[in-house]
Amino acid sequence: MAEMNHIERAMAALGNQEVDRLTTYPIACGVCRKLLPGNVTYKQWCSDPKLFADAFIAGQKYFDFDFCIGLMDLSVMAGDLGAHVRMDEENTPFVDQHIVHDPEDYEKLEVPDIRKGRSNVLLEGTKIYADKLKGEVITAGFLEGPLLALSQSAGAERMFMDMFTNPELIHKAMEVTTAYDVEMVKAFAQTGVNGLCWDYLWANYSCLGDAEYGEFEANKYASKLNQLTQDEGMALAIHNCADLPHLDTQILKYKPAIYSMAYYPLIPGSPKASEVIEKGYADKCLVAGQIDPQLFVRGSVEKISKVTTDLCQEVKTALCKRGIKSSYCISSGCEVPPDIGTKMENIKAVVDITKTAGAF
Amino acid sequence: MSKEEILSMLSEAVVGGKVEQAKVGAQKALDEGMDALEAINEGLVNGMSIVGEKYAAHQVYLPQVLMSAHTMYAGLDILLPAIPKTQLDDRKKCSICVVEGDVHDIGKNIVKTMMTAAGYDVVDLGKDVPADQIVETADKEAVDVVAMSTLMTPTMDGMKEVIDGLVESGTRSKVKVCIGGPPTSPAFAEEIGADHRDTNAQDCVGWLKEVL
Repeated sequence: MAEMNHIERAMAALGNQEVDRLTTYPIACGVCRKLLPGNVTYKQWCSDPKLFADAFIAGQKYFDFDFCIGLMDLSVMAGDLGAHVRMDEENTPFVDQHIVHDPEDYEKLEVPDIRKGRSNVLLEGTKIYADKLKGEVITAGFLEGPLLALSQSAGAERMFMDMFTNPELIHKAMEVTTAYDVEMVKAFAQTGVNGLCWDYLWANYSCLGDAEYGEFEANKYASKLNQLTQDEGMALAIHNCADLPHLDTQILKYKPAIYSMAYYPLIPGSPKASEVIEKGYADKCLVAGQIDPQLFVRGSVEKISKVTTDLCQEVKTALCKRGIKSSYCISSGCEVPPDIGTKMENIKAVVDITKTAGAF
Repeated sequence: MSKEEILSMLSEAVVGGKVEQAKVGAQKALDEGMDALEAINEGLVNGMSIVGEKYAAHQVYLPQVLMSAHTMYAGLDILLPAIPKTQLDDRKKCSICVVEGDVHDIGKNIVKTMMTAAGYDVVDLGKDVPADQIVETADKEAVDVVAMSTLMTPTMDGMKEVIDGLVESGTRSKVKVCIGGPPTSPAFAEEIGADHRDTNAQDCVGWLKEVL
């Protein structure tokens, strides 16, 4: 089959049509700052829209990905909601002081001004790379789901216990984080991205059952945001790097265009790529996964090349057995660690190997 | 109330996450002259074991487990001071923490709960704990186990720093070291010289029982 360009290939894979090769997108986000001149630190990168965007643009040029998805980190919303975010020079920012100390604090949450703080950095940066990469690759913004934003703000342990003891307050707070997300969705739609990728992390059976997840995110809040995403003209993408994701809810019910997931070989029940395909989930959307992110830091080029070759073979065989054509993207199960020790040559190897081993 | 009824009350309190019931049951056990250690083991810990099994079988989830743990600790706060010190002297001691640079501690807290339920004396150092503090505690508290966790890749090397520190201080041969957290693996444990890496709290406690 003649070689396709990135957009042709991605569009074909999203529609499960024939492709020249499998699509690939190791989730290389913060790590791409290493491609920028001047030793840009993580702290600088995630605080400056231009540096944020330039890293994705440089990453696209250097690695030749099939998609570009603009993940910053998972404390953007919590920080703008008032939580203290610790920003080390070379570590992913994280919340170190939550804002809920008593149950009544849930009722004090307010939607922040999204044109201030890191929400604005994220939106402005997304606009820059969406504009620059338009016509070259499918782009998507990245946004924390409302339950994730709440857990980051309140503290996950506190939030989980309050689901049990103060469910009505959790719902009140979810109304606020969902309203925040609504504003962000509308703003992302103005950036020019083709899609919006949600992180609905807590939809996993290590943390919540179907009933709890349904009550506290899926039924009322995520369903609204998913619909809004599509109503605003963006494709719906979901990333969930947890160990036992709620695939029936997040793929069959949410109906995303892309679903990105991880594989945990040591956890019983964690489905590998071929199982996900065999169970019919790749009939419904483009599934992306599942190279161990740690390999990008600790593996050799030879090791990650073999893992990629094996994954391509496993996927192609499973797709063929299932009678479907292309709906699997060779990716990392979670973000490529934005660690300064991450080996850029390993990211390159995944892309380059997919070009040959993923060919049809 | 009979002894069986009090034990059942304690166990059911933990299973149902009923903090007040656990407090009342614990006080009742003392008022009735029950052996506090028996009330803990046959009541609170029994309840936590049931919850642990249900969690492993995906019959209950984190909100329930965390509430049960909270309930167990409420009962322990009343019963532990009533146990003569000599009865606790032979308990094995574990230190547990999230290493420096990370504050994600749900996993650590669940492991701590299961260790406590299994009868270990747990020294919880908290989160974002510097390597030298972990090493110092191992020595000063004469712990039998050093347990460490992290969620974030850049902080993984902190675990190696701890193990190197334990070697340097001459403590390494006296302690077992186990690690956990999503980015870690058995291969990483081997690479840095840890004794064990586990995926869940119950298996970790099972391993401790085997090696201690």
